[in-house]
Amino acid sequence: MNNVLEARDIVKSYQEGTVATPVLKGVSLILKRGEIVSLEGRSGSGKTTFLSIVGCILTPGGGRLAIDGQEIDMKRPRQLTATRKKSIGFVFQQFNLFPALSALENVEYALNIKGVKGREARRKAQEVLETVGLGERRNALPRDLSGGQKQRVAIARALAGNPSLLLADEPTANLDSQVGEQVLGMFRDLAKRDNRALLIVTHDPKVRSIADRVAKIEDGLLVGEG
Amino acid sequence: MVDLALKTLLHDKWRFAITLSGVAFAVTLVFVQLGLFMGLLGNASVTIRHLDADLWVIPKNTANVDFANTFPEAYLQRVRSIPGVARADNLIVYFMFMTLPSGARETVEVYAMEDFTRWNLPWHVEEGKLEDLRRGPYIFMDGSAEKRFGPFAVSDYREVQDRRLKIIGRTRDALSFTTTPLVFMDYRLAQSMNSQMLNGRTSYIVLKLAPGADLERVRSEIRRLLPYNDVRTRQEWAQRSENYWVESTGLGLNMYLTVFLGVLVGVVVVTQTLYTSTMEHIREYGTVKAIGGGNADIYRIIGKQALIAAVLGFAAGALQAYGVGMLVEKLGLRLTVPPIAIAATFAGAIVLCLAAAAISFYKVARIDPAIVFRS
Repeated sequence: MNNVLEARDIVKSYQEGTVATPVLKGVSLILKRGEIVSLEGRSGSGKTTFLSIVGCILTPGGGRLAIDGQEIDMKRPRQLTATRKKSIGFVFQQFNLFPALSALENVEYALNIKGVKGREARRKAQEVLETVGLGERRNALPRDLSGGQKQRVAIARALAGNPSLLLADEPTANLDSQVGEQVLGMFRDLAKRDNRALLIVTHDPKVRSIADRVAKIEDGLLVGEG
Repeated sequence: MVDLALKTLLHDKWRFAITLSGVAFAVTLVFVQLGLFMGLLGNASVTIRHLDADLWVIPKNTANVDFANTFPEAYLQRVRSIPGVARADNLIVYFMFMTLPSGARETVEVYAMEDFTRWNLPWHVEEGKLEDLRRGPYIFMDGSAEKRFGPFAVSDYREVQDRRLKIIGRTRDALSFTTTPLVFMDYRLAQSMNSQMLNGRTSYIVLKLAPGADLERVRSEIRRLLPYNDVRTRQEWAQRSENYWVESTGLGLNMYLTVFLGVLVGVVVVTQTLYTSTMEHIREYGTVKAIGGGNADIYRIIGKQALIAAVLGFAAGALQAYGVGMLVEKLGLRLTVPPIAIAATFAGAIVLCLAAAAISFYKVARIDPAIVFRS
């Protein structure tokens, strides 16, 4: 099974009072192992909504979704949680690190949630943190880290538990140009090294430099891939 | 296992301190109110509980131990004649006037018996020999009297009902709900002090059953022989004396109201701080869901924070109450909190905090998980 993500005819509307506003009008996207896709589009085009749906966070109005070959029944919250736990790693624009936890604990906690506990969790967290080059800063709290370092901790957290699908929402938006490039380079290396699929939602044209494909959403439809 | 609940709690020390103070305030208030209440109630029955009697023969419809009518002392012989009665004695409880060295007149509550030593009354003797009370115009006075009457020493003299009596002993913890100081004297001496009212009369008959005697049978026999008296067990009589003060003074209502208000304030403070904390960390809880956690994981975090607040808040509150207890003791009051009340308050603190967390649970269950993507 080569496809990590299969999203077909995904439809989503938001209800505002009695009016339903369609956001996604039938978006299909397939990601294979080791493939990096940049998903672009203007603000409000529906790209983050699409990311939320394929990340099993948001329930679509229609369409089919399969992750790691497993058909996802969106009406079963337990299956959604289990899929997030097992197969998906998120990287957010705002990093979303736990401010009370050190860099190491942020990664370790994600492992705990995924069922890895005790010394093994600590060892694995240390390993992943070293992979992103932050082994020395493991005891630092997020407030003591730079934006680039925070994003690297967030990437380490996303990698914890070895998910097959990485989903990143504007990962370079809060970073300066140079640090953004470093983070992207790291993304590419880590995705390719472990054969993970990586979907990056972005406005940043630099992401194209690491992407195998670029997809574009416009008015709720996937209008072009290249 | 990373303890996100504890670390988050300690990360925001001020908020945590406010939460703790809310719980501690409620616990302190409960302990102090309950303690004062129990302490005062204890005074209402302390002599009954310590006096080593199985049954009390009481003037009909007497409401509490302090305000007894009198009846003929010869009834004692009838009681002593009943099979199963090991021993019985008359006991006078009567208010009299004491003239202080300053010239002021104060009321004392006199307990008078022929032989105190057989009845464990008074139960804490600090100075003097109880047997000596029978030898002349002597009294024992409780140390608590110093608060109202000023300092006194054994071998001092005081005028009671205009008669000079020598203090030959000092007791401790013999108190009355009325706060009137207790004085112990010989039975015949007490009668002679107010012969018009007490000559040939007594306030109570106290009796001890023989081993194996049937209490109810003895009681019904006393009732048959003394139809114009009540007969109560020690527990019944203590309870009745306490209830009198609870019902007639509104003390119970006051206690319940204050405890209710304390608990209410505690609930409001804890609910508010937990809820604000939950709202401030809502993105983090969204992140917990995004990385594979469920509502149960978040409930565990908030629930654990509530439990930590309950346990530490209880400890802080108990400590404060202990401090208040030391303080009020200097004022002649006593905080009495029985172990069952401590356990109940602890359980109450936990229930209070979990109830306060319930609103946060409700909010978390409705988090829009897409919150993690918002900037």
